[in-house]
Amino acid sequence: MRHHLTLRIGPATFRIGSAWPAPVAQLASLYAAYPQPSDAVADFTVRLQPTSLVRRFIRPSIFITGDHGLADAAPMSLSHGLLAAEMGMNLQMALGWRRHLLLHASSVEKDGRVLVMTGESGSGKSTLAALLGERGWRFMGDEFALLDLDSGAILPFPRLVSLKNRAIDVVAGQVGEGRMGPLLAATAKGDIRHMVPRHDAVARMGQGAMPALLLFPRFGHAADMRAVGQAEIFMRLTQASTNYVALGEPAFTALTRFVRDVPARAIDFPTGEDAIAMVERLWEEMA
Amino acid sequence: MTATKLYRRDGADAVTACALDDIVLLYHPRSGQTHMVISPVPEILDQLVDGGPASVAQIHDRLARSFDLGPADEAMDEIAAHLDALVALGLVRPA
Repeated sequence: MRHHLTLRIGPATFRIGSAWPAPVAQLASLYAAYPQPSDAVADFTVRLQPTSLVRRFIRPSIFITGDHGLADAAPMSLSHGLLAAEMGMNLQMALGWRRHLLLHASSVEKDGRVLVMTGESGSGKSTLAALLGERGWRFMGDEFALLDLDSGAILPFPRLVSLKNRAIDVVAGQVGEGRMGPLLAATAKGDIRHMVPRHDAVARMGQGAMPALLLFPRFGHAADMRAVGQAEIFMRLTQASTNYVALGEPAFTALTRFVRDVPARAIDFPTGEDAIAMVERLWEEMA
Repeated sequence: MTATKLYRRDGADAVTACALDDIVLLYHPRSGQTHMVISPVPEILDQLVDGGPASVAQIHDRLARSFDLGPADEAMDEIAAHLDALVALGLVRPA
């Protein structure tokens, strides 16, 4: 394709091609600190192409495709090209990654141990990981935590943090404009802005660590904390994994070990500050 | 008179089990499926571990050595229902 970029995030290498220059230029700028090995063999290809020839010029519409595709993925406006590229990379990981058990979860590390947070979109797991990453924790990822099938370690996948709606101002106020991407207004998920993780998150993106605490965060509720049964945790984590079935028995063994070994809590919180206080307290008590 | 139904477990249907709280997870490599079951399903499967065929009555008698099953008729009906469900899942086969 006319415009392209090869990018490594954690253990995965992506080649992103685009019919337009803008999405690739934005990615190159926001991922400037990441390895960009132009001669590497990519694990995945992401292509942003016009829905039709005329759509490259008139009201440009992007169709996301690549090694793995979804037939019913809706075309997006060119002004949301950065989001399309990010969604394309996520899609390739979710559908194609086989080297680790992939959990739809954010993760941060402190003192060589990992806090894993899983929940639906809007649960606050991304924002919480982003905020903790500014307060003495190493940010490991806001979307996917990679569980190593042999060692049980969590490996980082520290792509850009995707902040939505109210979370944008909360985080932008703390990290400064220099690490924030352009505002993508009125996408299918609302307003979105991407945040570049701190330097240490990128520099150490090859380093995994053992999980020490699992949280199920839920934003927008009165502060509360509950124990979660192991069987429920197992069920929720299989639902949060896109490749559990594909990986077969090694995934069963790795996930049951994770559930048995890692203490877990569900936490509800009204604001990010409340959540951070709860997380720090739980970490002291349980991890 | 109908023939007595017999059940058996095939070696290729061996499962990897893991108990979490009061639920037992069974990973079935042949189908790639993970089943979540509760008592008495794991106990019924254990009675068929030798791979040989067994009737509902025989399985009931084996279980009764270790568990208080209550009235035999009701217990046998329940065991038969569980066995048929296990056949449907592919974990147990008609012998």
